[in-house]
Amino acid sequence: MIRRLGVSGAIALAALAVLLLAIAWPGLVAPGDPLAISPAEGFRPPSAAHPFGTDESGRDILTRIVHGASASAGIGLAATALGIGLGLVLGFAAGLGPAWLDAALGRIIEVLFALPTLVMALLLVAVLGAGAGSSILAIGLATAPGYARILRSRVRGVARSDYVGYARLEGDGPLTLFRRHIAPNTLWPLVSTATLGIGQAIVWVSALSFLGLGSPPPSPEWGAMLNAGRVYISTGWWMTVFPGLAIVVTAVVLTVLGRRLAGAGR
Amino acid sequence: MPALVAGLTTALLLTGCAADAFDAPPTAEPIEGGTLVYATGDAEPTCLDPHVGGNYPQALISTQYLEPLVGRSPDGEILPWLATTWQASEDGLTWDLTLRDDVTFTDGTPFDAEAVKANIEHLKDPDTGSSTGWLAVQQIDTVEVVDATHVRFHLSTPKSALMEVLSQQWAAMQSPAGIARGKDENCLAPVGTGPFIVESWTPQDRVVLVRNDEYVPTNPQGHDGPAHVERVEWRFIPDAATRQAALASGEVHVIDNPLPADIAAWEGADQQHIDAPRPAASNRIELNSGQAPFDDVRVREAFIRAADPNPGIASLFHGTAERSYSVLSSVEPMRLSDESVFATDPERAAELLDEAGWTDEDGDGVREKDGAPLTVRFPVSTNQSTAAEQSLFEQIQANTGAVGFDVQLEPMDLSSWYGALAAHEYEAVSAPYTTVGPDVLRILYHSDGTIPAPSGYFANNAQLKDPELDALLESALATTDPAERADIYTQAQRIILDSYTVLPLYDQQNHFLTKGVTGVEPLTTISTPLLLNAQLLG
Amino acid sequence: MRGRSARAIPPWRTALRWVLARVGGALLVVWLVATIVFFALRSSGDPLEAILGGPGSQAGPEAVEAARREYGLDQPLVVQYLLQLWRVATLQLGDSYARRQPVADLIAEQLPGTLLLAALALAAAWALAVTGAIVSTSARGRIGAIVNATLRGIEIVATVMPGFWLGAVLILVFATSLGWFPATSQGSHPAGLVLPVLTLAVPIAGFLAQVSRDALLEADAAPFAVTARARGAGEPRVLLRHTLRHASLPALALSGWAFGNLLSGAVVVEVLFARPGLGRLLQDGALSRDVPLVIGAVTVVAVLYVAVVVLTDVVELFVDPRLRGPRPAALRAPDVAVGS
Repeated sequence: MIRRLGVSGAIALAALAVLLLAIAWPGLVAPGDPLAISPAEGFRPPSAAHPFGTDESGRDILTRIVHGASASAGIGLAATALGIGLGLVLGFAAGLGPAWLDAALGRIIEVLFALPTLVMALLLVAVLGAGAGSSILAIGLATAPGYARILRSRVRGVARSDYVGYARLEGDGPLTLFRRHIAPNTLWPLVSTATLGIGQAIVWVSALSFLGLGSPPPSPEWGAMLNAGRVYISTGWWMTVFPGLAIVVTAVVLTVLGRRLAGAGR
Repeated sequence: MPALVAGLTTALLLTGCAADAFDAPPTAEPIEGGTLVYATGDAEPTCLDPHVGGNYPQALISTQYLEPLVGRSPDGEILPWLATTWQASEDGLTWDLTLRDDVTFTDGTPFDAEAVKANIEHLKDPDTGSSTGWLAVQQIDTVEVVDATHVRFHLSTPKSALMEVLSQQWAAMQSPAGIARGKDENCLAPVGTGPFIVESWTPQDRVVLVRNDEYVPTNPQGHDGPAHVERVEWRFIPDAATRQAALASGEVHVIDNPLPADIAAWEGADQQHIDAPRPAASNRIELNSGQAPFDDVRVREAFIRAADPNPGIASLFHGTAERSYSVLSSVEPMRLSDESVFATDPERAAELLDEAGWTDEDGDGVREKDGAPLTVRFPVSTNQSTAAEQSLFEQIQANTGAVGFDVQLEPMDLSSWYGALAAHEYEAVSAPYTTVGPDVLRILYHSDGTIPAPSGYFANNAQLKDPELDALLESALATTDPAERADIYTQAQRIILDSYTVLPLYDQQNHFLTKGVTGVEPLTTISTPLLLNAQLLG
Repeated sequence: MRGRSARAIPPWRTALRWVLARVGGALLVVWLVATIVFFALRSSGDPLEAILGGPGSQAGPEAVEAARREYGLDQPLVVQYLLQLWRVATLQLGDSYARRQPVADLIAEQLPGTLLLAALALAAAWALAVTGAIVSTSARGRIGAIVNATLRGIEIVATVMPGFWLGAVLILVFATSLGWFPATSQGSHPAGLVLPVLTLAVPIAGFLAQVSRDALLEADAAPFAVTARARGAGEPRVLLRHTLRHASLPALALSGWAFGNLLSGAVVVEVLFARPGLGRLLQDGALSRDVPLVIGAVTVVAVLYVAVVVLTDVVELFVDPRLRGPRPAALRAPDVAVGS
């Protein structure tokens, strides 16, 4: 399978490995304290001592980006997990259940789709207050209908396929059917969708931070860094550009990987 | 690639239109007429009538079309404006004012004692929903119209600060006929005596003001005639970077709330920086002495010894903000400033905490006592605290963290922030308060200020309940002799500073940047920019 | 289940059922949206601050009491909810708490600006996407492969680009440094629209481009295209008469999703470029708990979204005759993993 990933897929996999390392053991990738302030060193452009420059409080931006990976990617991962979890429940229920349930859930999914993500997130945050938990809940809820829709159509397709029909003829019970046929054929493609989804979720989480609704300071979450740095963009471009790059690169890596996995699985 | 090329070509084609729009004017002479564009970063007012509610954005814009009864010099002396003389009775319960007889509102209604009465009653009317202005005239029981140019206020208790607070924009004079139209209509276009008239208001975009050609020069800071510019466009641009870009490119002439880095870099022939600290209180962090852990004065002092905000203020504000050691603004003549009270000393802070029984048993960096950690909840209102200020709070968080405090910064929207304060869910908070004069100390630190209004709001965030302080503040209100007032306020501030419930940071920052215009100056009462004397450079 | 015989149903009945289903869906949307918004904004935080004059006001006791009575805030929550629902049902959007103006007026004022932005961005995204797709399929040989790979790379980056980051960078480069375009704008002055429209269009263009290209490649290799070429038809003719129609189908189906995405993006873009619009209205309202305003605005957004989806379905029916019959699963809207 590794061979089927191709050059871009391999590069993406390598980048993902670095990302995972940064999440699991940030101190190895970037020794130094992401929270250590040094006001006299504030607003320094990129240099040998600080490859990505320093922020307004003198903190090293590279260190903060590395240590922020767990916050940003972690929140993105959690949100996607929540979205997929909900999507699984809705999708399987709609796909395997009776027609009336399918119709009803279909309506609900449509309704959830009608609320743009950011609007829904704004509302949820207004209720729950800002922070990592609300971001996860908001993005999870907003992305669930998408996963539900995909799952539902896949499940329906598999459930109505010939070999499931034959299996049923042969007397396989519903649980066996599920375990042996439906689940593997619907869940594996989900992996690639999920990988794509995590990338998108990270971008959404940072958008919430831009609107001031994300993790509280001094968390080095990328979106929060971007939001804080954007104020100084005309005098300190590095404070905005590098966290933004981190978000984009991570999302690109995950997207490429997701695409390759989809291709490889087919 | 082709998509990019197509995009760029389209872009280039459009630059023809763009390039004309903003050629920067060369250094030139002031001209008459023209349109001045002001871009504000403060919240858009929900009502252009400052009697309703009463916040700073309303003061900013209403400075151009409404005028108060009196003005105030930089030394604190009350100056005649729409009222020419004022006199309090012996017991302080009656005030007699003489009004100008040559002023009319822009709708033709004459400015007279009836008008003053209508305005005061409008402020006191609960349906108006006034807060700041209401507080100013709270002690006025009735208004007596003696004749057209003489009005008499009957007070329930003496208020030596009456003239000071009547100089505020939130108690400015409006046409009674205008008020009579009803709140909805009056909010859209209040009628005043000022140098400009409200023509239209496009929400989230701009308010258009046109020159009042019949303007009678009454403003102590005014020149001898109506405004020079013909039109003012008051635009709402909440994003600081965008606002700065608009100023730099010449799309707007004046902006407020500029970023410190931009202020520091702002110099040039047609460019000006106006630094006008807001009056009354300085920008402070207050510690909630009403509950643990800050009910112990040693813990409060420890926090203040460890905070060390000076390096942060110097670097974050690029030298545009000066550290303050006083509860009152630097434009208040009666302020007391004492640097020694706020000396940074982390070792002493650690000692104090040890003495108070807070130790770090489990070595996680946060001290505990009886099992409870030394947590400091610090709700931060993102509407009211600038980016630089929020970064300063982060630095204070790190500095006090070094001696064992666990400061939890909680950025939140304004509604939630008010909610957290009303529910006493805070140990530290920075709550700006804008008014005029040292009577603000009574509002902020008298024990009455701990009693919540029906909305849950209270002004005394430090939860100071000191009978001696209360007595001083009350007597200051009753004393009209300036020297005696100054002395009482000095004693009061001494108590407040020594209580370690307040950590002053700097004056309430109020900076304006201008380009291509001259004659913009801050009103000496509340430091809002006055456009009466402004002229475009053409 | 395969094999179930289809009774002949008169076409007008299918159409009627379809329309009713859509309308029913729209009503459900409106109800659910109103409920979510109401409870979201009322269950924590007090709308009183909005009513009493916005940020910075320090209200006196009588003013607070008067406001409570006037706005019915002293009644139990359930009663308030039912009242709100009744108002939405009878199309009375009410008055904004903070601005004291009818919500309908406020939305009507701000909507055109946002719609203009969204429409231009959608058009720009389409143009970019189709151009990119055509170029990458036309390019042959070595150079073609490089062009193709570059385009794919740009597309991926475009889809994941955070709007506010792109906007900030565009302002930095084109407004502050080069001065080609203004940083702020309002109305329809062309130069002022370029940067906001670009910021909105790029993420959508990326996605549409991927989808269009895949469809175009498929259509290009399909039997009808091969036959046309064999009969001597030139490339442009093949393109215009045959393949483009097929390529535009998935992009068309995605337009509904794209519209939703644009409305989300509008919140960010309007704040960034200081443009008046529905997005800014929404954010202000949500943060100050201006319940009638947010309910009104979100309802309008939801209804618009459903309308756009219905519209694209209708257009799809015209463009693709195959859809007029029973629908094969393969032609349903492509999977969109995440919400708009």
